[in-house]
Amino acid sequence: MESWVIATGLILVYLLVALWLGVVANRRMTVDLEDFLLYGRKAGFIVLYLTVVASYHSAFAFLGSSGFFYTHGIGFWAAGTWTVLVGAITYVIGTRVWALGKAFGYITPADMLADFYESEGVRVSVAVVSVLFTILYIQVQASGLGYIINVASGGRISIALGTFVLLAVAAAYLMAGGLRAVYWTDVLQGIWMYLAVWIGALYLSYKLFGGPMALWHAVEAQRPDLMTVPGPKGLFTPGMWIGMTVTLSFGIVFQPHMMIRWYTAVDAKTMKLLGATTPIYLMSLYIPTALVGLGGALALPHIDIPDQVFPELLFQYAPAWLTGIILAGATAAAMSTLDSILHANMTVLTRDVYQRYVAPGRSAAHYVWVGRAIVLGLLLVGYLLSTHTYGFLVTLVTLSGSGALQLMPAILGVCFPGRRTFTRSGVLAGLAASMVTLYLTLVVHPLYLGIHGGIWSLFVNFAVAAAVSAFTRSPSAETVRRVHGELERFVYGTEE
Amino acid sequence: MESQEERPAYRSHYMPRTRDGRIATVVFLVLFALAMPPFTHTLWDRLYPTILGLPFFYAVLLFVYVALIGVLMWAERRGV
Repeated sequence: MESWVIATGLILVYLLVALWLGVVANRRMTVDLEDFLLYGRKAGFIVLYLTVVASYHSAFAFLGSSGFFYTHGIGFWAAGTWTVLVGAITYVIGTRVWALGKAFGYITPADMLADFYESEGVRVSVAVVSVLFTILYIQVQASGLGYIINVASGGRISIALGTFVLLAVAAAYLMAGGLRAVYWTDVLQGIWMYLAVWIGALYLSYKLFGGPMALWHAVEAQRPDLMTVPGPKGLFTPGMWIGMTVTLSFGIVFQPHMMIRWYTAVDAKTMKLLGATTPIYLMSLYIPTALVGLGGALALPHIDIPDQVFPELLFQYAPAWLTGIILAGATAAAMSTLDSILHANMTVLTRDVYQRYVAPGRSAAHYVWVGRAIVLGLLLVGYLLSTHTYGFLVTLVTLSGSGALQLMPAILGVCFPGRRTFTRSGVLAGLAASMVTLYLTLVVHPLYLGIHGGIWSLFVNFAVAAAVSAFTRSPSAETVRRVHGELERFVYGTEE
Repeated sequence: MESQEERPAYRSHYMPRTRDGRIATVVFLVLFALAMPPFTHTLWDRLYPTILGLPFFYAVLLFVYVALIGVLMWAERRGV
């Protein structure tokens, strides 16, 4: 049997299993908005763990990180810093967000921020930032999926058709089973992608070099330029290292598809255990991708598109069945992020826009069906975004990595009681100033003074938010007492 | 305009209040600093000596990352 048949067939098997999980989740679902959008706030440790790590790691971790090691060398090992930081953020901030969500019934990040800052302007701004900066990831993941299936089929299935089929499958199980379906498929996807990348990397390192240690020695001897920072192309400067650490930790976990997961934990102990152990999976996934990328730089030194190094090595050196299993793992990596973003955008649009401003006071069943209709709309938008190239999108994608990072001052103001806090005017002014700064430092003058644009924007954001907050009205004493008092009780067990 | 002083004032949550909390915070921050410039681009940026067969840069950072995870797990066990 030809290798492309086996590879495509295994991806098909994986898709059928994902659809089956969606159907089973549908049978367990009750007509309840919290159940559809938040898994009924009952996610236990294993399910929550696997959905968080699978959502965090996308097609980029599977294919892109190998490409980074291939092109820029060992500097990408900086990935350990931001993955460890994700755990610490979850441990410290995630537990507080969970406690407030449970106490006050928050469903979206905007719920929490609008409640504390007593502002519909904050709600709308956060919802817009959330959707704008994550809907673009639908395009990134969907394009990645189309590419994977195109490679697996040896070019027989077009990228456009592959994109549509995989988007439709993700949308189908999301509409059927809501977040429960996303979580169950993420469990499958999280395990599959982890095993696939490790097995693939170890197979290739033994096949090509005689083992991982021999691979390291070969790279040291033949390409020492890949083994130092800032790397052959000078990318990993100190400024870039710090910038990527901040933007790919805070900037990712403050995106709605990650923050909404915090609300779903069954208890605080689960959240803390999640924070303490999440980096094990997240960081260790970059160990095999380093082997693939650096080994690929020796075995296939002239690849046009570095992100293709993993599939190219597999097709040249691995048996068809193994290539199929691993490419199905790459599909899982992309789909687990894609379905989470589809769900998060559906939740924000249903909760923060439709339920709030268009049709308040309707039944839970009504909102569930509206949510499903929104998924269909997102499916269409995602497909169009991934099959057409719009000039302005290139700019927006450049901005998107640092967009959610700009919610940091507002979130810290809610989650960390103290003698002073930000005000709604301060938060809105900081957010607006940071968007302008993002454009200037990521698009007009990238890496200005060697510092990542996300960091520049965050500086400006904090400065403007603090300055404006000093002269504007604070949240009411009643709200501060309610929200910060809840955190004081949750963290320290005291009233004040 | 309502002044900030009219709000209930809580002790800052940025400063840990328990002994275990202070230990976990300080150790985490010190270790994290070791995984950041200037350490990464000066002290660790070399191939040799290898550690357990791994390049120096890679091995040192791997050790720091594992230690950071250890701090988080210690904090969780201690109920910080």
